[in-house]
Amino acid sequence: MRLLRDDLHTLTGVYALDALDSAAERDRFARHLNRCQSCSSEVRGLREVATSLAFAAAIEPPPELRTQVLAAAARTRQLPPEVNHHALPRRGARVWGWMPWLAGSLAAASLVLAVMFGFMQANTNQQLSQARAQNQEIAAVLSAPGARLLAATTTKGGVATVVLAAAKRELVVTMSGLPALPAGKVYQLWLIGPTKIVSAGLVPPPAASGVSPAVLASGIVTGDKLGLTVEPAPGSAQPTTTPILALPLPL
Amino acid sequence: MSPSDPDASRFRASATDRRGERDLNDLLIHVARGDQDAFEQLYDRLAGPAYGVIRRVLRDPSQSEEVTQEVLLEVWRTAARFDPAMGGAATWVMTIAHRRAIDRVRSSVAAAEREQKAAPVNQLRDEVADAVEASLDRERVRRCLDGLTEVQRESITLAYYGGYSYRQVAELLSVTLGAIKTRIRDGLIRMRDCLGVN
Repeated sequence: MRLLRDDLHTLTGVYALDALDSAAERDRFARHLNRCQSCSSEVRGLREVATSLAFAAAIEPPPELRTQVLAAAARTRQLPPEVNHHALPRRGARVWGWMPWLAGSLAAASLVLAVMFGFMQANTNQQLSQARAQNQEIAAVLSAPGARLLAATTTKGGVATVVLAAAKRELVVTMSGLPALPAGKVYQLWLIGPTKIVSAGLVPPPAASGVSPAVLASGIVTGDKLGLTVEPAPGSAQPTTTPILALPLPL
Repeated sequence: MSPSDPDASRFRASATDRRGERDLNDLLIHVARGDQDAFEQLYDRLAGPAYGVIRRVLRDPSQSEEVTQEVLLEVWRTAARFDPAMGGAATWVMTIAHRRAIDRVRSSVAAAEREQKAAPVNQLRDEVADAVEASLDRERVRRCLDGLTEVQRESITLAYYGGYSYRQVAELLSVTLGAIKTRIRDGLIRMRDCLGVN
């Protein structure tokens, strides 16, 4: 059987000439273009050919059309530019200096994987409904306007990837590549503030990919840092070891 | 193409003139800020090709004028949404123009009207060929069209100037859908290389 993708790809020419059969078909292909870099750059070039065909067909319009169009423009309000409200703005995202943008998007992808993993791990109904509820909260953070992507390495290796929704005072964090701990030890997250330190929960054991399920932390206050320590199981009320991570959280 | 021919400089395709294209992009950026002088200049550069292609598709002069007016007003209204990363200003405007004409053709009312006015396919092909041959400025496009196979050329002109969907083109030329898709694509790629589009 022929691959759907190949089949869609050959439609670039038809699309560039607006010769698809319906608006629905056109929209479907336009969505495909969003995902297919080579298709969209090909369409760009082929559209220029179509533009040449249009210029080759140029006819002087009747002079009254000019007057009408200019008069209509003078009394027509223009649309404002589209402002980007994406949760993870591609440009302007506060990604820590050493972390290139590409790594940022990979990290975001690993966050999504981590969320899914949390889902798959749930093996009872109660766990499943808890996972669902938590998933919704996590999704709310990931899609919050102005959410920022932060990342940092710990002093023991491994990367913490954080989506910070400053307005909600919440964050979602996932860890990848943390060194495995001996039995009886756990990784614990903290919100380390100027006046007090609050536990933000344990880092769940990682999936086979080395990425831990996402953890949601709420109630962030100005000046908080996200901390990570190694604690005796099942976790401590206050940190008992030196943090291996202290990531400032810009609110 | 003679550089002294005023029509030639006026109707030069974006793909063939990088400097002209930059100016058009710049004009459109000014239009987005509400600059009516810039809009007038843009009109003078792009109304001809827009009207020409709309007229080619719709054939009816008064309907074509109406659609041209809608298109140019849409350009004024939505200029701030123009994204140069997706292609030049001329291509943006021609895409809107051709699409609007196609939408008009595909709407059922116009389809009925058009049914009555539709010329036999052979006659239409001749008209398209005549129109393309008519101007000195169109020499390059004509030459590039000549470099295509007959089926490629017919598929492209029927789809773009005739306003037929690729299914209709397949039907008209008695070729399979798959063949029409690849012939249109291959033909356009050959045109692109011939015209020197990047």
